[in-house]
Amino acid sequence: MGKQAISVHSQGAGLSVQFNAMASPCELLLDSTDTHLAKQLGNLVANEVWRIEQKYSRYNPNSVCTAINNSQGRAVSIDNETFALLSFAQQCFNLSQGLFDISSGILRQVWHFDGSDTLPTRSQINALLPKIGFDKVLFNESTITLPAAMELDFGGIGKEYAVDKCIQLLKQRSNVPALVNLGGDLAVTGERNDAQPWQVGIEHPGFEQQKTMVVSLRSGALATSGDAKRYLLNNGVRYSHILDPKTGWSVIDAPRSITVAAPQCIQAGMLATLGMLQGRGAHTLLDSQPLPHWIIP
Amino acid sequence: MQLIESKMHKNQAPNIASALGLAACALLGTSATAQAEINKDWQFDTAVLYYGETDRVMATEAMINGKKEFADDHFLNLRLTLDTLTGASANGAVAQPDVQTFTRPSGNGQYDVKPGETPLDDTFRDTRVQLNAQWTQPLARDYTFSSGVHISKEYDYLSLGVNGSLAIDFNKKNTTLSLGGSYFNDTFNPEGGIPIAFTSMPVGDSKAATWDDTFNSTRLTDQDDKTTTDLLIGVTQIINRRMLVQLNYSHSIVDGYQSDPFKVLSVVNSEGLAQDYLYENRPDKRTKQSVYLQSKVHLDSSIVDVSYRYMWDDWEINSHTVDTRWRLLLWDDSYLEPHFRYYQQSAAEFYQPFLNAAEALPQYASADYRIGEMDAYTLGLEYGTKLSNGHALSLRAEYYTQQPTNNGFAEPGALSSLDLFPSVDAVVLQFSYSF
Repeated sequence: MGKQAISVHSQGAGLSVQFNAMASPCELLLDSTDTHLAKQLGNLVANEVWRIEQKYSRYNPNSVCTAINNSQGRAVSIDNETFALLSFAQQCFNLSQGLFDISSGILRQVWHFDGSDTLPTRSQINALLPKIGFDKVLFNESTITLPAAMELDFGGIGKEYAVDKCIQLLKQRSNVPALVNLGGDLAVTGERNDAQPWQVGIEHPGFEQQKTMVVSLRSGALATSGDAKRYLLNNGVRYSHILDPKTGWSVIDAPRSITVAAPQCIQAGMLATLGMLQGRGAHTLLDSQPLPHWIIP
Repeated sequence: MQLIESKMHKNQAPNIASALGLAACALLGTSATAQAEINKDWQFDTAVLYYGETDRVMATEAMINGKKEFADDHFLNLRLTLDTLTGASANGAVAQPDVQTFTRPSGNGQYDVKPGETPLDDTFRDTRVQLNAQWTQPLARDYTFSSGVHISKEYDYLSLGVNGSLAIDFNKKNTTLSLGGSYFNDTFNPEGGIPIAFTSMPVGDSKAATWDDTFNSTRLTDQDDKTTTDLLIGVTQIINRRMLVQLNYSHSIVDGYQSDPFKVLSVVNSEGLAQDYLYENRPDKRTKQSVYLQSKVHLDSSIVDVSYRYMWDDWEINSHTVDTRWRLLLWDDSYLEPHFRYYQQSAAEFYQPFLNAAEALPQYASADYRIGEMDAYTLGLEYGTKLSNGHALSLRAEYYTQQPTNNGFAEPGALSSLDLFPSVDAVVLQFSYSF
């Protein structure tokens, strides 16, 4: 999880800065041929993504996330950024009436989405349910108290949050049109030169035969939820890796993938995830929203 | 599953995107606006349609429309339409108390019409292939240009057309001004050729040696053509989040052969008995104008679409069309849409159901009921739904009735007891599938 380097390549009429973070290939596209500027902005973006990764990764033993998860029910000090992320997670929890819950990651102890037919047992799941529920988490602007045995996972919002933070930093630093793509969740600073939109190909993870979707983006963000390779198949029923935190059970018949366009990446990502949590009802939810979206059933 | 779906009931859904937007802005300490458009691959709409008139024409049509969005809001739209038409069509002559004999338009053979029946030529048969291609792209910010070509080929008809339009957005895209024009060139080479206006339909033994000369003496030429120039100016205004209105004015000039070579007029004596049948004659110039007003209102669970068109031309045909559709949005991405249309037209100044033997020939005359006075009603219902794979299908059923009326012609003798203005009833069935 140590820092890695960035590399600059020319791409089309502009430049591409590439790096790895959050277990994904990441890219900064600039509508400029100034390689010096590309290195500067590339380092700015990569450092920000690495910072957020280090701070909130549950795999990093020194992260804020790990400190909270290992607190054994004791209060832990938090900073403004963590408070803001927890507040956002709480709003999503409330908006979805508990369907989106950053304390539900513990279910991964019994669900292994390896394409097999191995389902957890009811008793295995029932043993975990008392350890889930963001409403049991107490926090204010300076501290958080997580009940013992519970775990938080910022993985569901970290990448989209990082995209939005990078766009903010880029806008403060430069007027060069830019696009930040962190493993498929992406946003732009605005139109390209000559008022042209960005053409973005969205890949659907594990869904190779699906043609790449081409998206024309003038502003705002796109986020995709779903992974066609992560599922279980048992008795002809497809169990998606999207888990309902209230039942502990996989959402059956969830779309393979949902992409949403929105002003902010974190807004797009959350809506895509909420769509997934609706299972068959994804269309109903998303069609009633004033945002463009794309569903692979 | 049902538990989850009921928890996020549709009524609550509309707030989610904006609530998430506010939460995201709070998280990032910003306010934001954005617009993103998604381009898919080719999108296809397909439809099959059946149109059947009672005892008359029957048509079936198959259509496939492909739309592709290329980079930067550039669209290509291609449409292929195939249709076949069979059945019987009124030949313009009036019903008679006796059997009537007519020559087929090709000159090959005759057909008889029973007493009291509206004369119909039952050899109507045609297949049409139509191809439309349309390209749309932005020219500059707020300016969208569109241009297309049209080719339509029937056994005896070829239509070629080009069109172009420009849409200009202003007032923050709440107002759109559209300017458009199109030009069509149609060539008609009917079987049997084009008859000389007001000559008598020859009726006799089509196997006789002299028949061909007799028939050909009534023919002017093999083919003729006409051009149509349309100009359109329109304004679309978004009134608020739920309502938009559109106002269009169009001006159309048709120049060339506009008679129907298959239609005749009966020449009747004072007892109402047919003495002769003359080929019709229409002016070769027609200028049409129309205004069109449409309003769409999006209510909570339905969409109301009401339009009115007033058309007038220098043949003195005036028409009013009121069209109303009410789309009821059901659960589950489905809708039910009742449709009602009312159409009323006045007769062309040269329309007459027959000619009087005692009167001099007018300059122009046609007994085609389609340019006579009439009322028409359409009642329909459409059901549409989205499938779980994202495809959409719809079914439409409509009943159509056309009721010609007499705009003041006396019906002498035998004609007074015959139905000279029979109504035409039709059903339309359509199945559409989009993917």
